[in-house]
Order: sequence, then C-alpha cells, then structure tokens
Amino acid sequence: MKKLSVVVAGTGQIRDVEIQSGTTAGDILHQLNLSDYLLSKGPNEPFFAAAESVYDKVQDGEKVFASTKAEVGITVCAA
Amino acid sequence: MRRLKDLGTRPAPNSVRELILRAVRGHAPTTQVERRPLAYWQERGWTLSGNRYTGSYQTPYGAFQGWIEEQRSGHAEFYLYNPSNEIRSHSHWTCFQQRGSDWYLVHMAKQPKDVSSGIMTIERLIREAYER
Repeated sequence: MKKLSVVVAGTGQIRDVEIQSGTTAGDILHQLNLSDYLLSKGPNEPFFAAAESVYDKVQDGEKVFASTKAEVGITVCAA
Repeated sequence: MRRLKDLGTRPAPNSVRELILRAVRGHAPTTQVERRPLAYWQERGWTLSGNRYTGSYQTPYGAFQGWIEEQRSGHAEFYLYNPSNEIRSHSHWTCFQQRGSDWYLVHMAKQPKDVSSGIMTIERLIREAYER
C-alpha cells in the first residue's frame, strides 16, 4: 500500500488516499468523485491515462495534482 | 605506589550536558503540522486583485509573465507576455492572439473549470514548446 495526497488544483483541497498495486488514475479519480479531472504529478509531467497504473509511478506519501481538462486551441488549430 | 594522579573535577562542556539532559528528559511530544490547502495558483505565487490574477507560468525552461482575467461566469482569459521564439514555433502558436504591447491572449478550445487548471495547461504547453 502507498499513501498519496491528491491536491485538487482549483481549491488546494487535499484528499489523502491509500492505493494498492494496480490502482489506476481512473480508479482514484472515480473514488474521489473527480470524474472531469485529470491526474498528474505536476505541470512538468504528463497526465496519467485513466487506465494507467499509478502505483508504480509514485512514491509513498507523494503529492499528485487533479486538474480539470483544458486545451489550448481554436477551431482551426486544435490538435 | 599510586598509579594515577587525581587532577580534580571540571564542569562538562555545555554540549555534553545538553546531550545528557535530553536523554534523561526523553523526546518532546510530537507536534503535528497542519497542511495548508493552497490552490495551485497560490502555490505558484500568483496574486489576485479583484478578478485579475498576476504571476508567471513556471516551467523548467523559465518563468513566463502572465495575467488572467476571470469573469463572473467563471470564464477566464489567459494572457502571456512576449512569448519566446520556442513558443512562437509551437504548433499552437496560431491560438495566441496579440492584444497589444507584446501581450498575447491564449485561446482555449476547451476551457478549464478553474484558473489553476488553466495555468497548468499553459505551463504544459510552454514545456512542450521547448522539448520539441
């Protein structure tokens, strides 16, 4: 088991969770009722895919961020 | 025949006495330090005045000056000052609209639900621009 502090970026609210091996980003977001959010270790790290196991990629006690989906772009350039 | 000579006593140095006293006293009770919930924009040093946030988008490649205007509806407009050549070479450069005095509006195809998520999105884009 690993402890993880999920910081909701907009509010700074900290949600502490304990995850088992194989726990995915989707599992965490679903359990925390943050369905419209994405999980990452920060802006300099890529987002975890919903089906991606988070357990192996975080340290015990680490802080991760949940932020809402956003995309830079306009109709003609959105990739 | 005496095999040693008593030279008298002297006080132990303060550091040694403190060490012994600490061992006798034991540990002080643990103080739990409360975590302070901080929105990402606060954590990154942005300031809010009225509906306007001022600060910088922070990346491993530098801090980029910006400001954000949040409307009553919750819609936010993100501005970046004097984007570097790397940012101007990014595939999303056409999403930056010049608004005078080297300030650029960063147009969001999908609006973030909060200012913090928008800051993270732009920081991510800047990092991408430098890593391509």
